[in-house]
Amino acid sequence: MTSSSVTTRAVATQRQWLAPLIWFILLLSLAAGMSQLEWLFRLLEPELRQVIYRRGDFLALLGRHVLVVAIASLLAVILGVGAAVAVTREAGRDFLPLVAQLASIGQTFPPVAVLALAVPALGFGTLPIIVALLLYGLLPIVRNTLAGIGSIDPDVHEAARGMGMTPRQILRQVELPLAAPFILAGIRTSVTINIATAALGATVGASNLGDPIISGIVNGNTAYIVQGALLIGLLSLTVDSIFERLQRRP
Amino acid sequence: MIELFDVTKRFGDETAVNAISLRVAKGELCALVGTSGCGKSTTLRMINRLIEHDGGEIHLDGEPVRSFDEVTLRRRIGYVIQSTGLFPHWTVSRNIGLVPRLLKWPKERVRDRVEELMQLLGLPVAEFADKYPRQLSGGQAQRVGVARALAADPDILLMDEPFGALDPITRATLQDEMRALQARLHKTIVFVTHDMDEALALADRLVVMHQGRIVQQGSPIDLLHEPANPFVESLLGGLDRGLKEAALIQVGERMLPFGPRLLASERIPYGASLSQALSVMLWHRVDRLTVVDEEDIPIGELSLRRLLGAKAP
Ligand SMILES: Nc1ncnc2c1ncn2[C@@H]1O[C@H](COP(=O)(O)OP(=O)(O)O)[C@@H](O)[C@H]1O
Ligand SMILES: [Mg+2]
Repeated sequence: MTSSSVTTRAVATQRQWLAPLIWFILLLSLAAGMSQLEWLFRLLEPELRQVIYRRGDFLALLGRHVLVVAIASLLAVILGVGAAVAVTREAGRDFLPLVAQLASIGQTFPPVAVLALAVPALGFGTLPIIVALLLYGLLPIVRNTLAGIGSIDPDVHEAARGMGMTPRQILRQVELPLAAPFILAGIRTSVTINIATAALGATVGASNLGDPIISGIVNGNTAYIVQGALLIGLLSLTVDSIFERLQRRP
Repeated sequence: MIELFDVTKRFGDETAVNAISLRVAKGELCALVGTSGCGKSTTLRMINRLIEHDGGEIHLDGEPVRSFDEVTLRRRIGYVIQSTGLFPHWTVSRNIGLVPRLLKWPKERVRDRVEELMQLLGLPVAEFADKYPRQLSGGQAQRVGVARALAADPDILLMDEPFGALDPITRATLQDEMRALQARLHKTIVFVTHDMDEALALADRLVVMHQGRIVQQGSPIDLLHEPANPFVESLLGGLDRGLKEAALIQVGERMLPFGPRLLASERIPYGASLSQALSVMLWHRVDRLTVVDEEDIPIGELSLRRLLGAKAP
């Protein structure tokens, strides 16, 4: 390979990461410099004294939002992939129809309902929102992992066994790599839904980017709502464009 | 050496393989033939324990297959299937090196072995090593499948309709290569096919199966001459049997030195089969051919009388 083609490829890679980078910079600048835009929000609510949400600084709210989603998503990936793998093994096959059905039906359950059920069980604060996000985020991951493993040509499996691979080697070297694009798509769905759903946590006392929105609704301050929604939107775009980039990898 | 003693396999109520006994000597290529669903693949897959047999015993070199750990057993047996089962996310060289890596060979040894096999199977390393299975033609993919099966140099090879999905021309090429390969490597091979011509062309021993049982076994010529029953006879080609036998005999075996007559104008290579010689005679309406060697130099002649088996004068 010539050095010029290496450079071209490096440049191409950089360019592909450009979109996530732009969204991320926009997100951080807005979170850090929201008060610079006071004049703009004043146009929205000329009557009110306070047009920038002050109760928490936006960077901290953003940080907590990301943390809650990250913890819930990480747990959802571990549990979701684990469950899908377990029910596609010889020993767990009996549970495959049940789990597949749960994963499909669970999707139709609204996130607010999950939250409403979690609060009485777990109380107010950050824990119920993590549990709700985890449960809700589990479903697309389970469903996609099952689809990914199910999509593998049975003859590839037959050959892997016939060559003398152990079940563990087949899982790690054949099944998971071949199912990876499906799993990644499931994680993308799960994380994107959870970024939006986490805002509901503000209603049960978790403080994150949902705070300004709830506060805006309660106090009739449209500017607050717009600020929260803008940041959540930018966060979703950042994360989604990162996944978009990851999925395009060969 | 592979031996099956009264081996039986049932799936529910259905008996897929019914008390079959079979012995494949070391270095022998044994073809299992029969109509679809007669139990050929099941028989094959019981040898490497992808399916466990219900009754009887299967021995490799005198040891029951059940006495080996199944993973260890399979790494010692090459396995080739019709659809290749190549790993789509691995390159050709990584696919071929699978079993040596499972056996923890050092990296350099795996690489050398992979290159050796690619050369053996006519896959130029520079061109194919880094390709993915989806970039290969059917014939190339099956060559990779065979190379993968041979990678750890197993004594035994199990092949389940390996050329069944290929077009006739590629299939014929691979059959020729298979014969040449076997003449060099002397593996003990069980070869499943439903193509009788393929079986006749490759097999030292032909085993005809029907509804889970072996109905006849022996050398291709023996079966052609004395089919045990009408089923075997029809499987062997019925009225075409004469041509099938002629396809097994080389022109070189029947040719005679030049006689006093002029050279016949039509030529036939020494390595061609009698059925091809007959075809050339029919086509040109002649009863005498000049036999030539690889360099197209006349070395003898073949008359229709000789082709039909008349004794040398
Ligand atoms: N895993 C299996 N489960 C149930 N039945 C099977 C299985 N494998 C094969 N059979 C049945 O056993 C019989 C023999 O199949 P097979 O050995 O694949 O035939 P062949 O390879 O000669 O076409 C068929 O009737 C088939 O339906
Ligand atoms: Mg079969």
